[in-house]
Amino acid sequence: MTNQISFTFNGKEFTCESGQSIAAALIASDNRQLRTTRFENEPRSIFCGIGICFDCVLVVDGVANQRSCLIEAKQGMNVESTP
Amino acid sequence: MIIIIGAGPAGLAAAEAASRSGAEVALIDSASKKGGQYWRHRNSVKGYKSDRADQLFSKIESASSVTHISDATVWSIETQGGLYRVNYLQGGQESSLTAEKLIIATGAYDRSLPFPGWDLPGSMTPGAAQSLLKGHDLLPGKRIIVAGTGPFLLPVATGLAESGAEIVGLYEANNPLRWLLSVHALLLNPSKFLELVYYAKLLRRSKIAPRFNQSVTRFSDGLATISGVNSRLQIGKKKSQTLSADVVAVGWGFLPDLTLGGIVGCAQKVDSDGTTIFEVDDQQRSSVRNIWIAGEATGIGGADLSLIEGEIAGLSATGQSIRSTLRLNRIRKQIFANALKRSYPVKDGWQSWLEENTTVCRCEEVKMSEICESVTELGAEDSRTAKLFTRAGMGLCQGRVCSRNVSEIVAGLTHCPITDGERIALSNRPIASPISLGLLGDGKK
Repeated sequence: MTNQISFTFNGKEFTCESGQSIAAALIASDNRQLRTTRFENEPRSIFCGIGICFDCVLVVDGVANQRSCLIEAKQGMNVESTP
Repeated sequence: MIIIIGAGPAGLAAAEAASRSGAEVALIDSASKKGGQYWRHRNSVKGYKSDRADQLFSKIESASSVTHISDATVWSIETQGGLYRVNYLQGGQESSLTAEKLIIATGAYDRSLPFPGWDLPGSMTPGAAQSLLKGHDLLPGKRIIVAGTGPFLLPVATGLAESGAEIVGLYEANNPLRWLLSVHALLLNPSKFLELVYYAKLLRRSKIAPRFNQSVTRFSDGLATISGVNSRLQIGKKKSQTLSADVVAVGWGFLPDLTLGGIVGCAQKVDSDGTTIFEVDDQQRSSVRNIWIAGEATGIGGADLSLIEGEIAGLSATGQSIRSTLRLNRIRKQIFANALKRSYPVKDGWQSWLEENTTVCRCEEVKMSEICESVTELGAEDSRTAKLFTRAGMGLCQGRVCSRNVSEIVAGLTHCPITDGERIALSNRPIASPISLGLLGDGKK
């Protein structure tokens, strides 16, 4: 039995297995869209999955441009699409 | 001390080989676990098995001279009086490590080609689908299409199917008859043939029938367009079909990550398939003193070749002798790697899929029409100028995803082939990973 942790994404609470990346945790909860782009407001999600493309960048605990495919979701984390 | 950057097959083999001499080794990797992208696994994933990985892992764990520095992203390397200072970020802190010798084994990432909708949620690389499955125990979707070119599509499609996804289609853009050009490579590498038989069995078990000379050429609102493509990858005249899928995983082989070797000035060259790689000698020595490079960054060749190159680099860096069987094995695997390049080429006909408003640069949201305009209206004659006009390749990923595609589009528009110098310039980036100035300032106090 793995540990469950919870974090917030754009104000909503999400629960996931500890050890999952933020992006994986959100996709697992059927929340595929992670952010919208700054010029055209297009939806974006995970693309390369290994930290190369920077498409999944989110604001994690106030720090912008964090690659959510690499960062492990932690208990109490506050994740947002835009600063 | 020797610093090895990258803990995938090449880096692990290098660390193990170097440790035989008793030399002190620091193995730096950005992930929390050893194995790289190839041997990525969570303990909970069933069916994970790799004897070679297990052997290497246990040897390295028992070697007291090897220190594994995990979750550490190297962002730059400085040269200081014959020593190399490797700067990395770990847990939000800037740290550094200095050594006389470096082995760079930073691997590769999926090559992507643009198509309408490739920037929408649900479109991802096969590597991303694989990383979600193997690294996070998560199916990226329910109905998945796997497409592009190369043997990597096989483990991705079968892996997803075995874990319960419905594989709506597996589309290989190239024709398998191309292997007839490389029969010798298969004869020299019978284990690869057995691997193919293994995947054929898995495909049959999952009821996946691979289709050839077809690809995903559009994706939107859960619908993927599958078109026939010719040997140049141009869309054919035959009617395309539309399939419903929530994920399209499309990949076109791999691109090596050359950033770190580029920072320290290791000489590069252009491989037979147009990929920029590092120049190394028969001991994996780069053009820069005391820097060895192993694995995909010296030519895409897969894990088998990476393991051999890593071992050779580790032996050479510690002054141990290199057995001739190891050298011969490298040649054998290189012949197979060249066969892969011949069998799964990415010809420039892919540009026929693009529409005016197709995003080419994902970071800066540059459309195909803007690249065309930079050439036809603003007079850009090479991709560098087109980049300056449009900002294509100037976003957060520093052109890792789009710069090669942009240069091929510009070459197509100007009818000027891309020079080797241009290809090499495209892969050079002054900083490997973004770092905040505040952190940089604090780290250097």
